[in-house]
Amino acid sequence: MRAQHRFVVTLAAALALFGGPLAADDKATGFQLNLDRLDLAVYDVDVDTDSSKFNEYSDWTTGFAIPKMVITGGDAETGRYLSLRSSWVGRRDARYTLDYGVSGRWGMQIDYNKIPHHFGNNAKLLLTETAPGRFELSDTIQQALQTTLVNQFAANRNAINYAYLNNLLRPFLAASNTLDLGLQRDRTRAKLDLGKMGRMAWNLEYKQENRYGNRPYGAAFGFGSVVELPEPIDYKTSDAQISGELKGKKGGLTFGYRYSKFENDLAAMIWDNPFRITSSTDPSAYQAPGTASVGGSAIGLAALAPDNEASWMFVNGRMKAGTWNLSGALSFGTMEQNDPLQAYTENTAIVGVGFNGQTFAATSRGALPVSNADSKVDVLTFTGSANTRFADNWTLGFRVKYYDYDNKSATIRFPGYVRYHGVWEEIGRVTVPYAYTIEDYSADLGYSIGKDGRLGLMVARQSWDRKFREIETSDEDILRLTYDTKLGRLDLRFAYEMGDKSIGEYSTEAQEVTFIHPEGINNLPALRKYDEAAREYDAFSVRGHWWISDRVDLAFGVTSRDDDYTKSRFGLVGDELIQYDAELSFAIAEGSNLYVFYHRSDREVFQRSRQSGATPSTNPLDDWDVTFEEANDTAGLGYNMTSGKWKLDLKGTWNKSDGLADMFSPPGGAPNLAVGFDDYEDIEILSFKMALDYELTPNLSAGLDYRYEDYSLSSFITRGLTYYLPGALLLNGNYGDYTANVVGLRFKLRL
Amino acid sequence: MNWRLGTSVAVAAVALAWGVSATAQTPGATYVGNDTCATCHEEVVDQVAGTAHGSPAFGRLSAHGCESCHGPGSAHADDPDNEALRPSLAGKKAADKDAMCQSCHDGGKQFFWHGSMHQTRGVSCADCHSVHAPKSEVALLSSRNAMESCLSCHKNVRAELWKNSHHPIREGKIACADCHNPHGTQTAKLIAAESVNEMCYSCHAEKRGPFLWEHAPVRENCLNCHTPHGSNHIKLQKTSVPYICQQCHSNTRHPGTLYDNTRLPGPDAPQTGSNRIFNRACLDCHATIHGSNHPSSPYLGY
Repeated sequence: MRAQHRFVVTLAAALALFGGPLAADDKATGFQLNLDRLDLAVYDVDVDTDSSKFNEYSDWTTGFAIPKMVITGGDAETGRYLSLRSSWVGRRDARYTLDYGVSGRWGMQIDYNKIPHHFGNNAKLLLTETAPGRFELSDTIQQALQTTLVNQFAANRNAINYAYLNNLLRPFLAASNTLDLGLQRDRTRAKLDLGKMGRMAWNLEYKQENRYGNRPYGAAFGFGSVVELPEPIDYKTSDAQISGELKGKKGGLTFGYRYSKFENDLAAMIWDNPFRITSSTDPSAYQAPGTASVGGSAIGLAALAPDNEASWMFVNGRMKAGTWNLSGALSFGTMEQNDPLQAYTENTAIVGVGFNGQTFAATSRGALPVSNADSKVDVLTFTGSANTRFADNWTLGFRVKYYDYDNKSATIRFPGYVRYHGVWEEIGRVTVPYAYTIEDYSADLGYSIGKDGRLGLMVARQSWDRKFREIETSDEDILRLTYDTKLGRLDLRFAYEMGDKSIGEYSTEAQEVTFIHPEGINNLPALRKYDEAAREYDAFSVRGHWWISDRVDLAFGVTSRDDDYTKSRFGLVGDELIQYDAELSFAIAEGSNLYVFYHRSDREVFQRSRQSGATPSTNPLDDWDVTFEEANDTAGLGYNMTSGKWKLDLKGTWNKSDGLADMFSPPGGAPNLAVGFDDYEDIEILSFKMALDYELTPNLSAGLDYRYEDYSLSSFITRGLTYYLPGALLLNGNYGDYTANVVGLRFKLRL
Repeated sequence: MNWRLGTSVAVAAVALAWGVSATAQTPGATYVGNDTCATCHEEVVDQVAGTAHGSPAFGRLSAHGCESCHGPGSAHADDPDNEALRPSLAGKKAADKDAMCQSCHDGGKQFFWHGSMHQTRGVSCADCHSVHAPKSEVALLSSRNAMESCLSCHKNVRAELWKNSHHPIREGKIACADCHNPHGTQTAKLIAAESVNEMCYSCHAEKRGPFLWEHAPVRENCLNCHTPHGSNHIKLQKTSVPYICQQCHSNTRHPGTLYDNTRLPGPDAPQTGSNRIFNRACLDCHATIHGSNHPSSPYLGY
């Protein structure tokens, strides 16, 4: 019996035993508990494939379910209240929220929220997880594959190609294990509002999330040997906060302390190389297995997310001074991480070379220049705003924000590193404490027109000051014009915004700051990383809501945004988006409502690059560019109706995305031709839900639930995927097409 | 002047020319109590009785019931047909309605209401909340839940939520208010944290670091690569891998290489595939793109 079913049976028994008392008066205390709602249902779930997409964030299974349960209680005299709201009781996507307290005095809430996330079903794993984070392949198979490869390499290395390797792996893949990829987040949040103690009100909050399961991880032994693994997830995140609030007639103050700790039970993941049972190295080991080498490590090693902790002290203030409303927030936080470092590699054949030329075993942690990461960041944030209304119709506001990400992490110098577990690279590297400061200033002038009209003008400047990046300083000037009004039965909101970001000198050498001895520029000098690049943009939005009659209303809108990276010869050059939407709602009659909506978005992204060999190409014929066109349509309708004892709720949504990658490269260079594709994420989902209820008695209704979903995915990135492709042993979990029908019989009980 | 600015000016000009006139409210006189209100507005009084504002405990905060918000109603009770004396909030300016709510709800989540985007754009409390006839189980919303309330205006976001990669918002597992505080914050877009990244870390704490090897744009803003409401590309990417990586990395050798249709595995020709475009593309090797703690991973590889 599944744990879910045991839980449900236990709960049902408890309800049967205590249902009576729950519904009865507790006369001794005056506290009355009610079972406000209890939904009991039986579902039949029929899905035609094993795609994980159907249950991506849910837990639909055939069988008994409790979709909803609400228990409330209260005491009119004392103000004591209780509320327990539950959904999908016992399932992996259940949620329970308990509120308890005394109105106006104190209260507490405990919320337990279970969130599944499925990434792919029926994945195939050649290796076996023998212990958490340890993936092994039987020695027999490893030896067989290594021997075959070594012999073939000696006989005719050129024959070691995809077809050869695929044939080699096929029988072992056929016999390998399958698994489902996904994780579960179990979140608990407890909030305690202690109410006022004197002039102060106090709040305590604690959150804990346990996250467990797995997710795909690209482990690799080289350019041609990706071994995708299910990264084991065993996380615990704990957050606690205490805050106080002081309110006065003309202002208020809140302050507090927040602490967060992230813990990962697994520091590292270690996995066998399917193609090697004995570790070896050679200058081409990271090309193995292939014509260049069949060497490499027998074992791979990856450091998983390290434990970290963060804390913040904060104070927020607000006051009224004459006609001015002033507010501000100040916080100081630290983020720290000091996990022990893993060794360079698990490859016992690799010998490292230190700064002094002395050699060492690269598998020894003692050979590292430091034992721990010693990473720390201080974050100082200050925001302030001042707003006033003057001369009846005018408002004026100023806002300032200062955000300083001060990276105090240790700068650690490594004499080299192990490339792909295959070979020691005597290239000194140094960790870089990237840091930045953002300053935002804005002023907002508003003019009221009539009762509901407002014209607004905002000017702002956002300035960045970065350390160790290509751009040290940049300034973006922003202007926004807004107009909001009511024109009779029409609510209209309009906004136009434009921005112009200017940048300081672009240092292409900055990317080499991680090298102790810079190797020379290898990025295209004319490339601009788009997050730092000079940019001009303008955006436009009109939203309307027209109350055509007391029964009919129409909401509509058009929004667009156009980003031009004006000084970027290579990289992202342009990004343009335009969207339209309309929604019509119709109250057909008392208890009968209908809505339909449609949304369309068109996005066009243009980027350019130049293919290069070992040095940046200077030949324009090596250029290539791509325009991505994405069209997305979403339409839906909903209808609900209450007639006598019948109640009907219908909802349907259709979403279709059509993407295109239009590529170009001038002839004569390398590449000589670019061939685009038309499955740049073509996705369609049709979803339909129906709930039909009939009231059997005032306290009991019977209902029929129906849910239909049809999903299809056609994406270049999943095209032709299988368990082994050139250079990649993949998990290949199924998250593709499905058609699902869910039928349920539900009883809704109210006491 | 481009077409967007031109259209904007035209729309604003038409709207301004139309114009709207303000209405005024007449103050009432003395308090008459809920029973008097119920003689005509029984249904409303009954509805409110089922909410926090109608609970007996509310009496400890205010002794005036309906008139706590509507003001003394004696003038209206004496002359109910006189529209000028009606203590309705419906015709008031958004700021006046908000001031009524803020007379109690001015702390906690509402601490920064003044000067917030919703407040300055004229959105009032009553646009989302219904004191008389709430449809939600909590928070007296005029929609069935918080998500519907937000999407009633933010229609674009609704379409985003239906995209292939999305947070579990339409599944009801997280809510808009988990990231945004609609009542006002000191951060742009009503983000309920000091920065976008600090918001994201509240659920994705494993990416908080700081790491031994950092990826600088990741540390500056998660939204450099991700779009939070929905995307058709894996992991809420703004543009699919490998191309989003190539928007910044056009280095020598493979980062600048063209990955076009010829490098995808064909159904009958898997050998044409490149592990730099299929599956998770760049991330097939550079798995620790958010930062790595491994001494041998300056390229965020393992």
